Amino acid sequence: MAPPPATQPIDVKSGAWEGIVNIDVSVLVPDYREPWNAGQPSGGSGTGFLIGKNRFLTNAHVVSNATRILIRTTNDPEPHPAKIVHIAHDCDLALIEAEDGSHFEKLKPLDFGGIPQLNTEVIAIGYPIGGDRISVTRGVVSRIDFRPYSHTSVDSHLAIQVDAAINPGNSGGPVMQEGKVVGVAFQGFSGRVAQNVGYMIPVPVIKRFLKDIEDGRYDHYVDLAASDFPIENPAQAKALGTNGDGVGVMVGDVEPQGSVGDLLKIGDVILSIDDNPVMNNGLVRFEGELMDMNEIVERKFAGDTIKLKYMRDGKKLETTVTLKRFDPYVRLGAQYNQRPRYIVNAGLVFQPLDRNLMDAHQMRDDTVNYVFDNFLTDKLYVERPEPVVLTNVLPDEVNTWITPYAHSVVDEINGVKIKSLKDVQTALAKKDKPFIEIVLLEKNRPLVLKRELAEDAHKRIMATYNILEDSYLGDE
Amino acid sequence: MKLSQIFLFLVLGAATLPAQTPDAPKKKRPPAVTEGPAVAQQVVQNNSLVRVNATSQSYSLHLPWQKESPSSRRGLGVVLDGNRVLVTGQMVADSTYIELELPEKGQKIPAKVVAVDYEANLALLESVPSDRQKAFFAGLKPMAVDTSARIEDKVDILQTGRVGELIKSELKIGKVLTRRYNVEGSGFLVYEANNIVRSEANSFTLPVVKNGKLVGLLLSYDSKNQVTTILPAPIIEHFLKDVADGSYEGFPSLGMELQSTLDEQFREYLGLKPDAPGVLISMVMKGGSAEKSGMKKGDILVAINGFAIDSRGDYKDPQFGALSSSHLVRGRAYVGDKVEIKVIREGKEVTLNGELTRRKPDDYLVLPYLFDKGPRYVLMGGLLFQELSRPYLDAFGEEQRGGAILRLSHIASHPDKSEEEGRKKIVFLSLVLPTPSAQGYEKLGGQVVNKVNGKAINDLNDLADAFKNAKDSVHVIELNDFPHIIYLDSFNAERDNMRLLDGAYRIGSLKRLE
Repeated sequence: MAPPPATQPIDVKSGAWEGIVNIDVSVLVPDYREPWNAGQPSGGSGTGFLIGKNRFLTNAHVVSNATRILIRTTNDPEPHPAKIVHIAHDCDLALIEAEDGSHFEKLKPLDFGGIPQLNTEVIAIGYPIGGDRISVTRGVVSRIDFRPYSHTSVDSHLAIQVDAAINPGNSGGPVMQEGKVVGVAFQGFSGRVAQNVGYMIPVPVIKRFLKDIEDGRYDHYVDLAASDFPIENPAQAKALGTNGDGVGVMVGDVEPQGSVGDLLKIGDVILSIDDNPVMNNGLVRFEGELMDMNEIVERKFAGDTIKLKYMRDGKKLETTVTLKRFDPYVRLGAQYNQRPRYIVNAGLVFQPLDRNLMDAHQMRDDTVNYVFDNFLTDKLYVERPEPVVLTNVLPDEVNTWITPYAHSVVDEINGVKIKSLKDVQTALAKKDKPFIEIVLLEKNRPLVLKRELAEDAHKRIMATYNILEDSYLGDE
Repeated sequence: MKLSQIFLFLVLGAATLPAQTPDAPKKKRPPAVTEGPAVAQQVVQNNSLVRVNATSQSYSLHLPWQKESPSSRRGLGVVLDGNRVLVTGQMVADSTYIELELPEKGQKIPAKVVAVDYEANLALLESVPSDRQKAFFAGLKPMAVDTSARIEDKVDILQTGRVGELIKSELKIGKVLTRRYNVEGSGFLVYEANNIVRSEANSFTLPVVKNGKLVGLLLSYDSKNQVTTILPAPIIEHFLKDVADGSYEGFPSLGMELQSTLDEQFREYLGLKPDAPGVLISMVMKGGSAEKSGMKKGDILVAINGFAIDSRGDYKDPQFGALSSSHLVRGRAYVGDKVEIKVIREGKEVTLNGELTRRKPDDYLVLPYLFDKGPRYVLMGGLLFQELSRPYLDAFGEEQRGGAILRLSHIASHPDKSEEEGRKKIVFLSLVLPTPSAQGYEKLGGQVVNKVNGKAINDLNDLADAFKNAKDSVHVIELNDFPHIIYLDSFNAERDNMRLLDGAYRIGSLKRLE
């Protein structure tokens, strides 16, 4: 192992670090309780760094929900307004540019290195806890592992653990080794959970993001959308027909709408991915490291293929999988830069079920919680891709008897099965009967409103509760 | 539900106060009062009350081969005809030892449960006839049951002090309603009264009397709001009559769910006239009295046994006024009684005739409560299988309710689908003990079992049978949830079974199927 490099003083006046900038952000946090309102203004700051001509890399969470972004360098207090070019919430990366890039033309972009080795020294550079001067902390690479990215809370990718102090404000800043960027600092633990643990997004994840946006659009990660279960049990190995050489992992679940939905079945044994043998615990040896087999899929893009060898009923089979994004899980994670969608009708507020909604409303209803928690595990998305919740009933004479039914999943309106918020609009437009009839999931009585009363009340309720628009269904 | 929990805390708190605990060694002490400023000058006794001390010990829900640590409860029992003693069911649930004690003399005698109904929360105790028993009851006088109490009546809650002196708290009955007692099920009649109730050592099961007659037993006391609920005499009388005829049937129910029709728009939608009575039947339970009488979902219920049902679902009780229609069946009728139900179906009045039945706990897909016996289980090679029960689900706190527990709770709240599949109980893998044959499965738990060795599993007996038929010495266990299928070597599993017996986990038996 190479001896750690000698400590070198950093001369901030030299300009070598000028490309590492402070990002000051004003944000508007959307209001999922009163979705017609603008939301709560707030602010924060982070770090970014120049990687090309007027291109700054930072974390998605630094610039999420931003209404104004300002860039400052360490030697110049002048704020430069900036905007998002691409943002990838699933891997917590974003590319931003200054509105006037001329100021940064002379600065030298930072170069990328590779995956650093364990126990080698790295430095994290940034503007932690909001200071305007650059800060440097030092540590070693502690672990290289697949782990959850907390920005969405549902995505997991390769991440590198370091023991350099990474604090709020360091986010988006470079972690460097021998003058090259080996990662983007992005998350840590609160001191109550673990000490001296910080995480950075490693270069393969960064490069994948940069490659994905080359065509001018971010297409998101692709997914096998299958869960593997280790083959550790001798009876299991025997029954599944693996010969005990430690190769092959069992398929424990398959998402019918995922990339392998029509190809793999529960009880199949995955033997290799792109000719990399898969071990009985789901790991592959890839680029010299043992990694989760999903890492091979992670490096690919929508429409790419992988070669899968697997065993079914003792027979070895081979197939080519065309990879695609698995959409249903997106709503289980936090979403950003979106205006909340809703429909208000006669005081009844309908909103699509997702994590943002669950967090804002503190749903206690068993059915709502069951549908959200088991959206994937019980494959509820197949029947109902976007469950709609009656989140609120704004009290009025017309709806006074149905206020207790707020926080219910909507099953049908006027005979139309509700599979998305759009269906609510379609269903409410049906005016062939004198009653609006709303059937709730697992509630034993329909909610009914007399159409003429509801239509009169609608205008009154909109005015009383100060709602300017009675629906927002998205941009499309 | 909330009230009874509050009460429990109150009781436990009081029972641990040593100063208020009239313990056995004190019985030799003369009854004369020489100490304690709070004791009344004049000692009033009641010769129809005995102290009841019960030790209870429930089975562990998660490790069903073992029992939890024992705990004790104290209450006051009411002496009835035939030297029997009435207490609440809660008092003797999971009891291992019960004794009666004379409040003044401190004399004690063991007792056992002759009849108990955990839904109605009532139990009847008896001591084995003997000279000692005769002597114990010699000075006691049976108390009569009085079902005539009404709203506004003044009643007394009785407690006994350290030397058996009577402590009365006077209450006024403010409301009569129906409410769940301490286990899941439909509501029972309850008197609600307001006032302060003194906290004494023996506050589990306290008699409520009027003019020396029993009008109820204390069900709960919410000290913050000073609200007392009383298990009333009509329910006690029903219980005693049922016990007296030799075979205990329990309280009947119709097995249906109704929705009020106060909402005018809803009434119009249902085609109800503005002031017509009736409620919407929104659910009819399979195999219940209502279903057997021909009641259908969507019917408008207008009368039961000649009593009109209003749009809240209440009827006019001659004694208590407006009261939930459930009491017409549950409190005022017996299992086997005929019932006449009037409904409006497609605009026409239809009369349905049926016979009242009771759904036994074991008839439910998910056992609503479990006392006095251990949970059923099968242990195979370290895999622990159990039948889903309400107490098992309730043992998980609010913060542990994600994932598997939410999924199991959802099944418990919506049993129809599982029942249609032919399941009698939900069998699930609850825990995996680390054994060589269960290697790799340690983290599993909460998965519902569909099939074992090709056989559909509708209860634990099916499972025990299915384990007798391994193919090629491998058990194939199909689960409803991830990872959906697991395998177990049948020989190694048997070997591990032998090791588990009396091993580190102190397992005495590999299954409980009774």
